[in-house]
Amino acid sequence: MAKIENSQLGDDDHLPSIEEICNTTWEPIYRFIYYKVQNREEAEDITQETYIKAMSHLQSGKVNPSKYIGFLKTVALNVLRDLWRKKKRRGTAVNIELINQMDDTAEDPAEMSAQRHLIENALSKLNKEQRTVIELRILKGYSVAETARLMNKKEVTIRVMQHRALQMLADILK
Amino acid sequence: MENNERKVSDFIDRLNKEQQPDEDEYSTESDELKELYQTVKLVKSVKDPTMPGPDFQKKLISSVKSEASRKRPQNKRKWAFFISIASAAAIIALIVNVMLPFGNSNIVNVMADAFEEVEAYHGTLEIVEMNANGKSTTQVKLEVWADKNGHYYIKNLEGSNKGLVTVNNGEKKWQVHPHQKQVHIFPSTPDGYRFNFELGNEINNVTNALATNVIGEDTIAGRKATILEVTPKGGEPYQIWIDNETKLPLQKQTAMHNAIQYKITYTEIAFNNTIPGKLMDYQLPKGFEEIDKNSEQVVTDINEVQEAVGFTPKTPRRLPAGYVQDRLVVVPSRDVAKIYYKGEKGKRIVVSQGESNGEFKPAANAILGKIDNNTAEIQSPVQDFVGMLGGGDPYAEGTNVNSIRWQQDGFEFAVVGNTPLEELVLLTEGLTDGEFKMPTVDEQEFSPQVEVPYDLTKEKNDQKSVDAGSSPWKLDPVFVAQVFVSLKISPDGIIGDYPISMDELEVIKNTGDEAIIAVSGDKTSIKKVYLKRLVRQDITGIWTVVGYDPA
Repeated sequence: MAKIENSQLGDDDHLPSIEEICNTTWEPIYRFIYYKVQNREEAEDITQETYIKAMSHLQSGKVNPSKYIGFLKTVALNVLRDLWRKKKRRGTAVNIELINQMDDTAEDPAEMSAQRHLIENALSKLNKEQRTVIELRILKGYSVAETARLMNKKEVTIRVMQHRALQMLADILK
Repeated sequence: MENNERKVSDFIDRLNKEQQPDEDEYSTESDELKELYQTVKLVKSVKDPTMPGPDFQKKLISSVKSEASRKRPQNKRKWAFFISIASAAAIIALIVNVMLPFGNSNIVNVMADAFEEVEAYHGTLEIVEMNANGKSTTQVKLEVWADKNGHYYIKNLEGSNKGLVTVNNGEKKWQVHPHQKQVHIFPSTPDGYRFNFELGNEINNVTNALATNVIGEDTIAGRKATILEVTPKGGEPYQIWIDNETKLPLQKQTAMHNAIQYKITYTEIAFNNTIPGKLMDYQLPKGFEEIDKNSEQVVTDINEVQEAVGFTPKTPRRLPAGYVQDRLVVVPSRDVAKIYYKGEKGKRIVVSQGESNGEFKPAANAILGKIDNNTAEIQSPVQDFVGMLGGGDPYAEGTNVNSIRWQQDGFEFAVVGNTPLEELVLLTEGLTDGEFKMPTVDEQEFSPQVEVPYDLTKEKNDQKSVDAGSSPWKLDPVFVAQVFVSLKISPDGIIGDYPISMDELEVIKNTGDEAIIAVSGDKTSIKKVYLKRLVRQDITGIWTVVGYDPA
């Protein structure tokens, strides 16, 4: 994770500019948000929203520059939670407290590494075809048609296989 | 079940394309799908994130800045309130501020804060012309209704256009000409006309001025007022009278040009919640003819646009903060599609697009940027109504309407709005998926082989003459280059046509303060002319030749 030093963002006599704050902090914040949403489009929008919400506080001088990234992550999480609440209002009534592990603030590299290990372990418990379909579709990003061609199966079969594989993974990861 | 299989597959496809899914674990009503969507994200999280494009940082900074400037007045008000409860000294200062004339430092903020509280206003505006001998003539008296969303109703009570009514209700703009028994219809946006001394515009001008100074006290229409001298970024200083009670502008006096100056006064003004609905509703008066100069036809969706003009218009992937799509229109006579977006406080952006007709020729005075490898014409504010910018309502010179125009993939696009250029840039980037580059000229590029000496005192005097309305051609870099090259060809003076024509001159760089003009043909050995805005670096600044390249 990028560590922001006071010297990068000015001293007590010089409050950092918008450029200085964005240039030195955007990458860890974007990565943090991407981890939650897993797509670039939403990650870009939410990163932007986060900085818009946070900037007046950061520029007020009340937040220590060494705490900028922590502060921005908290704001990002609030933006994400607002978004999730809005989606829930449009959809079914789900208890907001039942936010899954993706929604936690866990950002510790050790925890992330443990989670990665957990997922890889779960994948290894699938049969070969199921693992292949998940690897091709999600990890390598192939379309259903491409995956069907590579696995010499019909598209409908690929959809069924990936559905079952994900059900199994969900059970393993519970 | 089969439906869920497809939904999960669609969800994976969207994430693979790095796009927001149509449905996710928070919006689905199915418990099974919620669990599967979460699992897909967990699996995908093993991969490294896809990082944004190279210009993301730039876009991020631009949007944060744009939002920060939008919020500034509110923050100031909150801040003032904070101080008032936190500190007794500040309370006293606030009382003094209310009771006594303003101090120099806070007058602009106080005025902006006061306007924040205004929803609408109604008054009588008088415009008086004064000559250098002190003789005054009332030019026009107007009844004005205006609100902070940019809607207005103006009726000419006295003057050459007595009875003329001009209305813009945000959807339509029209003028009722009682003598001709005609009603002329115009597009509501962008509306360059507005009217003189519109309070929001006036306060913006003061906020953006180079300097403001309190120079005295006066009584206008029975109201005590403070006189403020405003030095704008372009042009001569003018004076504005600010009501000591309402903290809003009451009167403005322009600088004297060619022995004439104008005094514009609200002889009456009152503040309301809204403009009466009957003034904002369009109705063709009995016996009047409707003349539609607008020729825009509102359509309901993109399919209708496609049917009307034969192509599917591009829509921006994202909008600047606070904007929503307002309406879609087509101009069948020109096969042009327009998408109107509306923001807060009367801000509007219009995206126009149509198949390109021939070579792209940017306006002579435009700043030239790049969208991918295409030239982008940037006018801030709009002065020349060329290409996709033409064919609509005339925009007034010196208004706050900005534009970006370019050609790409056989189409011409124009993004126009009464908004800061940064917001237009954001929308343009969202529209093109391309990289937008504002112009820069590096020193290596701007290094003429032959330097042309100049006298800065003379240039400053020339600038004053141009400010007063003389030699407007000095504001056009192509014209200045044409005169320079022509005088090199005919040093004794130009008789008849210029020996070098405009067609032989092409702007290859224009950053707004530096320009390079390429010269073609064999009438001269000069191949490039280098110009600078030496005195003032905005649209009111004159251009001076500082060098050239011989062949």
